[in-house]
Amino acid sequence: MSVDKDTSRLEDALKIALRRQQPPDEFADRVLARAITKESGKPASRLPWLRIFTRPIFAQPVVRWATAAALVAALVGGGIYHRHVQRQRAEGEAAKQQLILALRIAGSKLQLAKSKVQHVQDQTENQEEKE
Amino acid sequence: MKKLSWLILLLALPALTRAQDVKIPPDVEKLSAKAKETVEVTMDGPMLRWASKFLSADDPDEAKAAKLVANLKGIYVRSYEFDEEGAYTAAEIESLRSQVHGPGWTRVVGVRSEHDGDNVDVFFKLENEKMAGIVIIAAEPKELTFVNIVGPLEVDQLADLGGEFGVPKLDQKTLPRSQPKAQGDHK
Repeated sequence: MSVDKDTSRLEDALKIALRRQQPPDEFADRVLARAITKESGKPASRLPWLRIFTRPIFAQPVVRWATAAALVAALVGGGIYHRHVQRQRAEGEAAKQQLILALRIAGSKLQLAKSKVQHVQDQTENQEEKE
Repeated sequence: MKKLSWLILLLALPALTRAQDVKIPPDVEKLSAKAKETVEVTMDGPMLRWASKFLSADDPDEAKAAKLVANLKGIYVRSYEFDEEGAYTAAEIESLRSQVHGPGWTRVVGVRSEHDGDNVDVFFKLENEKMAGIVIIAAEPKELTFVNIVGPLEVDQLADLGGEFGVPKLDQKTLPRSQPKAQGDHK
């Protein structure tokens, strides 16, 4: 008897919980607005670092200009440094060529000295053989 | 008085140190005006280090040269090529030779050839029985060359130069160690 009573109470509660209800008037608008926001937010999620420019601090023109100026300065500085390195390399190559030239000259003159000494030794040996 | 003599000694010290260096006499430097071709290389220690940084480690010749140069303090070369004979005087050559008459210097080769007019001198500077420098003076009829390599230079390192950039392998049998030995048709 009491089981039947409990069952009917549960059924009543379920009926109340699952009864058809009309959504609020602005529900459809809210769903549409959320869907649009999600779609427009996709590219930002691909490049999250770009979001820093949408933050309030970068919204200020002064900060934007300062950032651009810093980027330009970095590019110019990098260019100057690159040219400096290239110039140093060219000067170093020239110094290397000078060094090689100096060694070549020293070598050729040592060769000359050696050939002269060899010539004298050969002559002395020939004279000794004749004697 | 004692302080004064110390002061004089201190002031004279740099000049005394410099006096040990081999300098190219101004008269010889002026020969470039008469020369058809002039080569002047002046590389001191830091310059040598810097230049040697650009020698390729992959190239065996350059790698050997870099090893040799690493211990050197300087390389000085003056080479003048003339159109005609007699562009320089014996006195100018003697002024060059007089630079290497100081203590520590030994002439290991001295060639005087009347036959072709080639005169070559090779001087070694020895410090604690180790080579500390080499000077080559080659006076040919139409060419005058002065080479001064300063720094600790082992004989085997010098021999290592053999074949690199045309540098000959020095046969120690043919290079006497102390006295000038060239004779025969050389005066």
